[in-house]
Amino acid sequence: MSAVSTFLTRTKGRDGQKGTVGLQDVLTYGYLIFGVLVILAPVLWTFLSSVKPERAIDNFDTRLLPMAPIEQQVEGIGLKEVFLYTNEAGEETEVIKTGPTRKLTDVATPDQPTAVFTVPKESLTVAEEIRVATENYLDPILRRNGQENFTFFTYLFNSVFVTVVATVITLLINAMAAFALSKYKFRGRLTFTLLIVATLLIPSSIILVSLFFVVWSFGIFGSLWGVIIPAAATPTGVFLLRQYMLTIPDELLEAARMDAASEWRIFWRIIMPLSLPALSVLAILSVIWRWNDFLWPLIVLISDPSAHTLQIGLTTFSGEFDSDFHYILAMTVVSLVPITLVFVWLQRFITTGIATTGLK
Amino acid sequence: MTLAGILALAIAVLWLGGGSIWLLKNRGYRLAQTHVFAMDLIGFPVEFAQRVFGRGGVPYALLMPNLLIFGFFTFLPMILNFYVSFTGGSSIVLFDRPWVGFDNYSGIFDCETILSPRTCANSGFNFWTALFNSLIFVAIQVPILCVVALATALVVNRDIRGRGFWRAMFFYPVMLSPVVIANIWNWVLHRKGVLNDTLGGTADAITGLAGMTGFDIFATVLMAIFLLITLERAVRSSADPSLAWTFVFAGLIWLVIGWANPLSLLGMASSFWLGLAVAAVLVWSVATVRPFARGVVLAAGVVAIALLLTIQFDSVFDFGGFRPVNWLVTPNTGWPMFWLVFVFCWSHMGFYMLILLAGLQAIPRDLYEAAKMDATRPARAFWRITLPLVMPTLIVVLVLSLIRGFQVFDEVWLLTGGGPGRETFMLVQNIYETAFIGQTPDYGAAAAGSVLMAIVIAVFTFLQLFLTRRQSEL
Repeated sequence: MSAVSTFLTRTKGRDGQKGTVGLQDVLTYGYLIFGVLVILAPVLWTFLSSVKPERAIDNFDTRLLPMAPIEQQVEGIGLKEVFLYTNEAGEETEVIKTGPTRKLTDVATPDQPTAVFTVPKESLTVAEEIRVATENYLDPILRRNGQENFTFFTYLFNSVFVTVVATVITLLINAMAAFALSKYKFRGRLTFTLLIVATLLIPSSIILVSLFFVVWSFGIFGSLWGVIIPAAATPTGVFLLRQYMLTIPDELLEAARMDAASEWRIFWRIIMPLSLPALSVLAILSVIWRWNDFLWPLIVLISDPSAHTLQIGLTTFSGEFDSDFHYILAMTVVSLVPITLVFVWLQRFITTGIATTGLK
Repeated sequence: MTLAGILALAIAVLWLGGGSIWLLKNRGYRLAQTHVFAMDLIGFPVEFAQRVFGRGGVPYALLMPNLLIFGFFTFLPMILNFYVSFTGGSSIVLFDRPWVGFDNYSGIFDCETILSPRTCANSGFNFWTALFNSLIFVAIQVPILCVVALATALVVNRDIRGRGFWRAMFFYPVMLSPVVIANIWNWVLHRKGVLNDTLGGTADAITGLAGMTGFDIFATVLMAIFLLITLERAVRSSADPSLAWTFVFAGLIWLVIGWANPLSLLGMASSFWLGLAVAAVLVWSVATVRPFARGVVLAAGVVAIALLLTIQFDSVFDFGGFRPVNWLVTPNTGWPMFWLVFVFCWSHMGFYMLILLAGLQAIPRDLYEAAKMDATRPARAFWRITLPLVMPTLIVVLVLSLIRGFQVFDEVWLLTGGGPGRETFMLVQNIYETAFIGQTPDYGAAAAGSVLMAIVIAVFTFLQLFLTRRQSEL
């Protein structure tokens, strides 16, 4: 008891000794708990809701676990919902309703559906069990039960295709440009550097309309390439890689040139492997950008359902089935899971990588 | 087959076919060196440039793909934007578009007064409504985002348990796509959703508690104890008052003034803002170590105790029946805009937090050690060391969040769709709807809107850089 009271009343010592709790610590942990509530709780709530049966979702059942009414096959009647009847003595029996719900309702036990007796409706409660509604996930994915329009695997393929191809192209051409800007002295180097800085200052949303004209006249409007190509060259990527490549000693390049290696081989064999840390940061950034990209794919791909990415598919799906929250939530979780797994796997790397390289 | 298709085919044939022949002719490859051959083939244009122009040609070849994409998909559209904004019609073939001069712009400026969008012609109404909504959004969102991001960065920069986890947690929403974010918050904010359910449950429970006899006395005594403890802690040491405790104390004062509502005697509506102002003055005077800080805190304590006696706690906590709010669609309540700001901050805060965290970690440790040697209070160390040194990073964050704030589209489009009415209709949505939604797309007006939006963003960015320039030099 005295240990508890010392724990509760002790304060931070003058010289800040370890193991004491000051008010600053209390406020800090209070803020962190608040953060959990605001950030993780909605995501977890969505996940928990996504496994609830349709009925619970439609009734906005706010209990944590997915509860579904128990249904039982009754001879001669079919599938009936089971209720719990509590009699005056407090004993509970499983019953099924044999007539409409009135003040005094006709019920019977599932074993003897013909032996009807009446009970007051207040003494009946719905018998429930925990049931994970896998159909929320399986119906849209397997395209059954009226969910034929949601071509999940097409969307997934498109999203993966855009993300992977765009990231590979971005890495390759940005590394090439960064190599040129960091390891060569040539006429116009400053001009090119400034040009690339200038693109940082042009927000993509103010060139939407004219970019549409350009992409359309290239004939890639409506195709996945119309999403991949325009965003493949990123000023951020060029700078990130350039800063990193500046730290690679020139002697390595000179030594390779002594051995008569061509410039391309120097790039591929020396520069690329040595800038792997910066390349992987850019790869992660690029994956996040492409996977979550919304407005431009919406403009380019909206007219062709077979070219929708997961994000666009999910948007039209949410729009079409405004009331089918159970499917929407399940598909939200499906598109949330890959990025979450990547994040959990690489989180330390991502946070330090972005913190050290700065801009987005 | 389109022009781009033919071009792509020609390049592919030249690159792969020509490249293979050239490489095989000039270099011998063994069968085991297939991967070396593939590598050389990817870089064939670079190899070719080196052979033809020498080493001087290599950087140009290396820069080529990047510059082509920047040129065609960033600079060309930038210039085209001006051209398109001077043309009319709905043709998507550039040369079929009739030149209309300044018609698109004069359409936007065709108003009796710009300050009231209702007096404008159609495109003007859309643009000015969008601009004012964007300005409101940015004005609320940018300061909140910056303060919250800085506070979070300070918290996760402390020596706390599981620091990596907390940093990752605050960053996590940045990873989520706008569609996922919108679906999550749509679900939480639904009229029958979990937020209303929790609020309703809490309100009912508190109302029930407040109805019990003796609640008023009990709450008054409890509040008085809280006030006295925090006051004692705040002014306990002989030196300056403690900032952390003053912070808590200020929060309590805010509550007391809000509940006691002294302004109602003067017939004024809300004491909420008065309470906030008093709390802010308290925190400010302690944080900046004013000589009168101690007196202010003590005076606030006396006033708070006096006000406390006038509070009828049972009526303060009687919420009556809670009516669920339709957060995202109820007009004229400000809730849709509030939740958009909230969701935007929720999803972007982690990124700015990381940038600020990097800024905080770049501050040399020995500065704090020197401050500790001089027995500097943590609050003073924050104002005199942390804030000035993190200022350059904070300005980067300010400018970035301002530019991003003007460009907000995804969350708005998916959560409110610009509604209710036009309450959350913003600049990018205006461009998108004018150009890509509806039967007759008006690319000219959309491009004119983009040009004006670019000007607005540029003006605000430079204004901000100009205003913060002097501070960052200190």
